[in-house]
Amino acid sequence: MFRKVAIKTNPLLLSKRFLHTSPKTYNAVNHTAISPSEMEHFNKLAATWWDPHGPQRILHKMNLIRMDFINDTIKSQLKLNEGIKNDEEKVFIPGWNYKNLLPSEIAGQIEKEQKAAIAAKYDALELKCLDVGCGGGLLSESLARLPVVSSVKGIDLSAEVLRVADEHKTLDPMVEAKLNYELKALEEVPKDDLYDIVTMMEMLEHVDYPAEVLKEGLAHVKPGGHLFLSTINRDFISWFTTIFMGEYVLKIVPIGTHTYSKYINDSEILEFVEDFKKEYEVVSSKGCIYLPACGWKFTSSSNVGNYFSAIRRKEKLSN
Amino acid sequence: MATAATTAKTHTSDIVIIGGGPAGLTLASAIKNSPILKNLKIKLVEGGNLIEPLEKFNESPPPNFMNRVVSLTPATISYLKEIKAWNHFKEERTETYDNIYAYDGITNARIQFDSPEIATMCENFNIQSGLFQRIKELNQDNAENPLEILDKTKVIEIKSDEKNKWPILQLSTGDSIKTRLLVGCDGYNSPARKFAGIESRGWAYNRWGIVATLKYKDDAFRFPTGWQRFLTSGPLAQLPLPDNWCSLVWSTTPELADILMKLPEEKFVAMVNAGAKLSPSEMDYLYKLSAKNDETLMEEISWRLNLFNSKLKEEEYENYPLEIESIVPNSRGRFPLKLSHADTYVEERVALVGDAAHTTHPLAGQGLNMGQGDVKSLVKVLETSTERGLDIGSKFALEGYFSERYPANHVLLGIVDKIHKIYSTDFTPLVMARSLGLDAINNTPFLKDFMVSQISNK
Repeated sequence: MFRKVAIKTNPLLLSKRFLHTSPKTYNAVNHTAISPSEMEHFNKLAATWWDPHGPQRILHKMNLIRMDFINDTIKSQLKLNEGIKNDEEKVFIPGWNYKNLLPSEIAGQIEKEQKAAIAAKYDALELKCLDVGCGGGLLSESLARLPVVSSVKGIDLSAEVLRVADEHKTLDPMVEAKLNYELKALEEVPKDDLYDIVTMMEMLEHVDYPAEVLKEGLAHVKPGGHLFLSTINRDFISWFTTIFMGEYVLKIVPIGTHTYSKYINDSEILEFVEDFKKEYEVVSSKGCIYLPACGWKFTSSSNVGNYFSAIRRKEKLSN
Repeated sequence: MATAATTAKTHTSDIVIIGGGPAGLTLASAIKNSPILKNLKIKLVEGGNLIEPLEKFNESPPPNFMNRVVSLTPATISYLKEIKAWNHFKEERTETYDNIYAYDGITNARIQFDSPEIATMCENFNIQSGLFQRIKELNQDNAENPLEILDKTKVIEIKSDEKNKWPILQLSTGDSIKTRLLVGCDGYNSPARKFAGIESRGWAYNRWGIVATLKYKDDAFRFPTGWQRFLTSGPLAQLPLPDNWCSLVWSTTPELADILMKLPEEKFVAMVNAGAKLSPSEMDYLYKLSAKNDETLMEEISWRLNLFNSKLKEEEYENYPLEIESIVPNSRGRFPLKLSHADTYVEERVALVGDAAHTTHPLAGQGLNMGQGDVKSLVKVLETSTERGLDIGSKFALEGYFSERYPANHVLLGIVDKIHKIYSTDFTPLVMARSLGLDAINNTPFLKDFMVSQISNK
């Protein structure tokens, strides 16, 4: 049933990419594989992955807002007064706009209390993370450094790039202890391995069967946990910024980095998750854009250009 | 004291701060004060004797004001309050003033700034003592991970770890520390800057700043005011301290500095009074007398000042500072003045703060305040980088600090340098131009307000 729905809503699956061999699989059809040309492209980038002033600088910059998006989403999902019965101990969260209606000293005090409560709850977290398509490990290392993260597993299909990741992690003792890389496809991760955070950053637009990959990823999210993804909408602005300006004019990324037909719209993600709404919900969607010399900035519309999306697995099945 | 080795037994730190001056101590307090950064392992290394004298100052402060005094801007004080250090300062030893009065040494053209709490004079040692007390307070709340101050400890050598390039400091105690980030708050000759291979460019002003602690005569009333007279040899500044005391900063040529420093204290005081009022030609004559320690010097100064004062109209009395009565014995000191600016403030594993990054002429009272601005910016960058899981020692994470501070500092250094140059000449057309300009600005309220807001609220 899923496949029928997926094919109807996602034109990507209409293309003739069903039968396909990939060098690293033991199935005739590996749903989460990437094409040989994509593999070659990433292998070439392996050596310069960690140079912040090299061809991957834009990725280093994007990593900054990835972490911001993950932090903001997790913090906004914390339930401050959960499990507190005594009204005195509850943090005051008015259901109205207190910043406009109360004098600034009092509003400031309320905000301070809320921030302190959020920080306390946040600091108590212990998150287990899975980074799918971890590449050289930019995101994996950043996650591993957070005190609230207990472990990070990074998986990728390119041995070259994983080698670079493994080498780099040994340079920082804080990261080495918590981080583990494996050359494997998402489907090879044991079914009952569940994670608080699953990430798929700049990854879905490189795989042949993104719907399958996303479904597989969602299955590994713990109840109450999140899957964070970033990808690119299939529209003119995306083509203009990522391919025309990015690859050909300003040459910020090598030509061939992006394939327009593989881009996925934010609305398609929403529709896809809608089919599983008893178990999953999209809690946040944010567009972003790269401004040369300024870095990545969030935008007000997630259906144009690059975007992030956060999908949460509900603790209990809902109706 | 463990002997160092680059095996697992080497001490490891997240941040090592070199330098226990105001910049280093403010940075240390601010980091430990931050809820995001307070769990970092931090050590502060200082070559001189720091802890004992600071404890002593706190318990039994000296009866006289010390001669190294700085002007703190409202922005600086606001930050010190933010990190909860200000209440540990001995406020009774500070003087907050509303008026600044700057006038030309040749034409007496003047500019007057009158803004509530425009600046606060504070002894350097009071700053260090206040910050030290705050650090002790923070350490009490953070017993598992206190900030360690290693004083009387010199850094003998700094090497790079072979594998991950983290700096390893070899200390004079025999220990060594390997650290993720090294912050140089170690002054103009910064060893940290040299280790990072960062060039610093600038020039010596060929001027010395003479400092002393003086007492005004109690014969009239003045609001506490910062006075600065621009003599051609350099500005003579009298900055207010509590109880009619004042701090002198007289920037002058090496030759005149020699003459003034050699004078007996009574004659020195007389020269300060002369410098605040008399004309350039009279001053030249008086310098000649001073060079010989001539016994007629006091008399000369006395009758010339009487002549000058008798010619003043009543409303003009307040255009000049009160005369100095006495000097705290042995409070005269001097330091060389120079401009410098490092090419960059950050490198892999190294950041520079304060005088290690930039030095300036004291005429605008901005040097230490620029360093405080550096601290505020660096702490914010460290907080954001930590929240994002970045390696705080990487140049990529630190870049934001350099790009925020460098332009602002560069502009201020440039402005102060130009002011020095404009007032160092006695070339008549330029003197007339600057006097005209000063009078014009003095009569343009919105321009003065703008200048005050730039200097004090950055």
